[in-house]
Amino acid sequence: MTQSYRIETGGLINRNKKISFKFNGTSYFGYEGDTLASALLANGVHLVGRSFKYHRPRGFFGAGVDEPYAVVQLYRNGETEPNIKATEQELFEGLEASSVNCWPSVNFDIGAINNFLKIFLPAGFYYKTFMWPKSFWYKIYEPFIRKAAGLGVASTKHDKERYEHKYEYCDLLIAGSGPSGLASAYSAAKNGAKVILAEDKPRYGGSLLTSDVNIGNQSGKDWADGIISELKEMPNVTVKNRSQVFGYYDHNMLVMSEKVSDHLPKTKKYHPNKRLWYIRAKEVLISSGSIERPIVFGNNDTPGVMLSSAAKEYLKVYGVLVGKKPLVFTNNDSGYETAIEFKKHGVEPIVLDSRSNPQSEIIDEAKNLGINIKNSYVVVAAQGYKKVKSADVATISEDKKTLGKIENINCDCICVSGFWTPTIHLVSQSGNKTKFNEEIDAFVPGVSKQNETTLGAANGVFTLEETLKTSFEKGKELSKKITEKDNEISIPNVVEKKYSKHDKFWCVPLPKGKSYKRFLDFQNDVAVSDVEIALREGYRSIEHVKRYTTLGMATDQGKTSNLNGLQLVSEIENKVVPSVGHTTFRPPYTPISIGAIVGREVGKHSKPTRKSPIHNWHEEHNAVFVDAGVWLRPRYYKRGNETLFEASKREAKNVRTNVGVCDVTTLGKIDVKGPDAAEFLNRVYTNAWLKLPVGKARYGVMLREDGIVMDDGTTTRISENHYHMTTTTAQAANVLSHLEYYLQLVWPELNVNVVSTTEQWAGAAIAGPKSRDLLQKLFPKTDVSNEGLPFMGYVEGDLFGVKARIFRISFSGELAYEVNVESDNGRFMWEKIIELGEEFQIQPYGTEALSTLRIEMGHVAGSELDGRTIPYDNALEGLLSKKKDFIGKRSLQRAAFVAEDRQRIVGVVPLDKKN
Amino acid sequence: MSLISALNNVHAKGQFGDFEGKDDKNLLSISETTNLLILQIVQYKSSNSSLDNMQVDGLNLRDNPSLVSSNDNTRILWNGPRNWILVSQKKDTLNEIEQKFNDNEFAITDISHSKAIIEIEGKEAKEVLKKGCPFNFGELEKNQCLNSTYNGMSVTIDMLDDDPDKFRIFGLRSFGESLYHSITDASLEFGYIAK
Amino acid sequence: MLHIKCPHCGMRSQNEFSYGGDATVKRPELNKEVTDQEWDNFVYNRVSPRGKHLELWQHLSGCRQWIKVERDTATHEIFKTYKANEEIA
Repeated sequence: MTQSYRIETGGLINRNKKISFKFNGTSYFGYEGDTLASALLANGVHLVGRSFKYHRPRGFFGAGVDEPYAVVQLYRNGETEPNIKATEQELFEGLEASSVNCWPSVNFDIGAINNFLKIFLPAGFYYKTFMWPKSFWYKIYEPFIRKAAGLGVASTKHDKERYEHKYEYCDLLIAGSGPSGLASAYSAAKNGAKVILAEDKPRYGGSLLTSDVNIGNQSGKDWADGIISELKEMPNVTVKNRSQVFGYYDHNMLVMSEKVSDHLPKTKKYHPNKRLWYIRAKEVLISSGSIERPIVFGNNDTPGVMLSSAAKEYLKVYGVLVGKKPLVFTNNDSGYETAIEFKKHGVEPIVLDSRSNPQSEIIDEAKNLGINIKNSYVVVAAQGYKKVKSADVATISEDKKTLGKIENINCDCICVSGFWTPTIHLVSQSGNKTKFNEEIDAFVPGVSKQNETTLGAANGVFTLEETLKTSFEKGKELSKKITEKDNEISIPNVVEKKYSKHDKFWCVPLPKGKSYKRFLDFQNDVAVSDVEIALREGYRSIEHVKRYTTLGMATDQGKTSNLNGLQLVSEIENKVVPSVGHTTFRPPYTPISIGAIVGREVGKHSKPTRKSPIHNWHEEHNAVFVDAGVWLRPRYYKRGNETLFEASKREAKNVRTNVGVCDVTTLGKIDVKGPDAAEFLNRVYTNAWLKLPVGKARYGVMLREDGIVMDDGTTTRISENHYHMTTTTAQAANVLSHLEYYLQLVWPELNVNVVSTTEQWAGAAIAGPKSRDLLQKLFPKTDVSNEGLPFMGYVEGDLFGVKARIFRISFSGELAYEVNVESDNGRFMWEKIIELGEEFQIQPYGTEALSTLRIEMGHVAGSELDGRTIPYDNALEGLLSKKKDFIGKRSLQRAAFVAEDRQRIVGVVPLDKKN
Repeated sequence: MSLISALNNVHAKGQFGDFEGKDDKNLLSISETTNLLILQIVQYKSSNSSLDNMQVDGLNLRDNPSLVSSNDNTRILWNGPRNWILVSQKKDTLNEIEQKFNDNEFAITDISHSKAIIEIEGKEAKEVLKKGCPFNFGELEKNQCLNSTYNGMSVTIDMLDDDPDKFRIFGLRSFGESLYHSITDASLEFGYIAK
Repeated sequence: MLHIKCPHCGMRSQNEFSYGGDATVKRPELNKEVTDQEWDNFVYNRVSPRGKHLELWQHLSGCRQWIKVERDTATHEIFKTYKANEEIA
């Protein structure tokens, strides 16, 4: 197979390395360095998809991130990904891609019937039609629309790719490696600043790759290559290609998506497919360049109509001709650059310039080359269905309102240039109030809100000389503020062509009797007539027009359509563009994989897990676990085919008849120490604490200031100035912050320290009539009799050489103890309990049995202390001290809290008082 | 009695990740540190004791953010205002402290069993930390420490050395397995030896 | 994501902090008689200003200190941060 649209030599591709790929099932080849788009164009493939609403044929419109049409479904290494721009996807061996939004095929698409029904599908069609009857929405309308629309299919399989995140800090983040990015990075780097230079494309250099300029007596591209290789050698500089800075957030935090592996057939094992960088920069330099905007005319969505800058890029970077009979339609000098490139490669272009008598260096050059130039001419409509075959053209009057006689010119592509729109997405996201610049008919950055500076074309500066000068200076000035170094940089001399003024012309009027669709938004199929309808129906705010017509709401975010839409609204409304204003730019600038946003927090690592030191024993003994916050706790220990209910009943019954053991490590534990510890507890808990003796525990309830119960638990006085507080598993972290709040802010005069010791101790609750017998076996040297260790008593013991804390506390109504040992000994303790408990028919029990036991006893827990109840509601009013003040006490006097009809927990017993 | 350390169940020795074709010396090394004495030392607000007179294992408590005072056995990490974490291989340091520090002026709390401790060493160690921790590691030097989060888990990070970089990462014990997974997972790209 | 200067630790990322509400509210002293209105003002009534706001944050995964942050609620600009009991300028 030959590549009939590839020129013999030239371009930046590697012609020594052929790469084969498939598109819609057909095999093609391209070269290393191609994008999917350039390789298809080299093979003469122009039809790549169908449009969103009318299913009209779609080709290529751009050559990069601005592409509205060529969105494909990509297949790579057994995975599939939708919403991939063919103009950004680099070719790799074995790549497969297919068209989206067409069925059964791109050449014969049933949905294209919408094109003939387009009179019935005007703006707001979906809103108006599918509202009624309401019940039809879920069953009929939505599934139909979903099938008919959409830009590809998300995989339903688990995504095997790795996506990683990274936090980074730098002095200067520079977004874009065009002339302004390179110059500012260079002077900042020379001043020793820590610089990150990000480029979304694989190649550095931006416009220098395609423009015909000289910097310091070398070509623009050679100069860029030199700067990049020098920057790469510097330890204070990070240079990243395939990396899109897509969001500008608060406090100079920017997020960048680095495509680490998308250009490879397969991601290297253990390496990420994409890496999301969270970058905090002291200064941000936005050198994001500009995007050419189209001129609107009839059937301007036909495959073969594309931006003139894209045609030039395909030729200069990829050595690909987008057509052999090109028509260039321009309102400024940029179109001539494209025409000259065609001419240099032996292709005869025709230039239609809407201006009557433009004069400039570059136009002279075009004339000298013998290029056919027609002034005051416009394209009225493209002709051809799946590809441009010819163009209806006409002269246009000076006021741009009247067309002359329509002529037809044979052509196979129409390269359009309607001048340049600065890429101000990041600028606007940072909070910068942009302003309209009449000179260039576009918005440019206004006053910076954060530490951001915009340079070059993104700032509306379109001459290289000025761009380089200000960029070198800005890089130097901003880095000097940070590093206090001031390295002299000599600014190279620049040779570039001077441009004449562009024509303020953006839309070709309809000839009499014609009703061509003139598209503004190519991805969402929004035409001039749709915006006209929206305005006729009373929509005025540009934000409303946007939502009603969906103008600029597609995945390309209106990169090529927003300004023309604004021009149209301002024209109809008779307002100037700045008073119409632009819609909000929101991150991400370009679509970002959900996987990249999620990162490594997937599957069982979607959140961290907490485990007790005894966890493995539970696992080995058929525990079925339950999530308790992020803790994993045994819910029950399954025997044979037992159900949850059967197992928990068995476990609870064994506690009532013999003895059971439960892992209570997860309960929150807080060490409260200090001379004022007793006073502090007295203020925190609702009951009295000043007289608790050493060696005794007490049950306590704490409230929030609004009177709602916050938590409960037992606290033990270990020594004079030392208390061991326990909390519920769920509230442990909140209680600690709550205590710190009062100690640091409200009562700073108290000398108390609180620190979490939850992890220090492994805990086992031993409950049941035989628990004391077992305890005695565990601690033969300790007196655990009712006298030696009374209810709510505390002693320290020796568990076969391991120091232990023994608390006599019960939540089940049974005789019960809690034993704590340091965590490294947790499993040792547990196994000893099981071993010595065997003769008492011990069984471990889980949270389900625990709940059963405490409900039987009437003890409240998390289900009752749910953040909505006061002590009375839980029958805890007996714990409210009348003698002292405590946190939340005053709230209990509120009318609602003393109302007689409050819901209240009550105990229920069977009438026969049995069973 | 058999002590089981926090990462006993997950830390398996060997070479992991993208290590093939790389010199062992250039790989990251990851290990679990066990059996340390770890104490929280807090000076109460009313205490007038001059810190200049308060020495532990020959080291002074210094109320300087991010500072670590250290000798071969003991490191004292700044943990907050008038708040330190002492980490020592000498268990009897506890006795020394209990003798020297009056409990009306200082709160001493043993948290030796509260932590899972991972040591990571190698020239990419900071890169591994950057993958989960929002701290600016460009500013961190040898014998400095910080508290922060790693993939949402609270951690204390102590920079032990800078040639090559070496860190001790303290996480809460119950989070140990998750933290170990996060750190080793972030190291796969570079290849690591678990020691 | 905000970048907050902890007055103890220095510049840190918002991930390390938790928000604690209006810092200008003062708790009535213990054992002091307060009217319903005074108590309601302490517990419930908050102005929600657009602009400068003095608020509490806790450096939860840092030094665990509660701090006061003077922040613009509309722009997120942080003007100054204070220690828990530092005099507010």
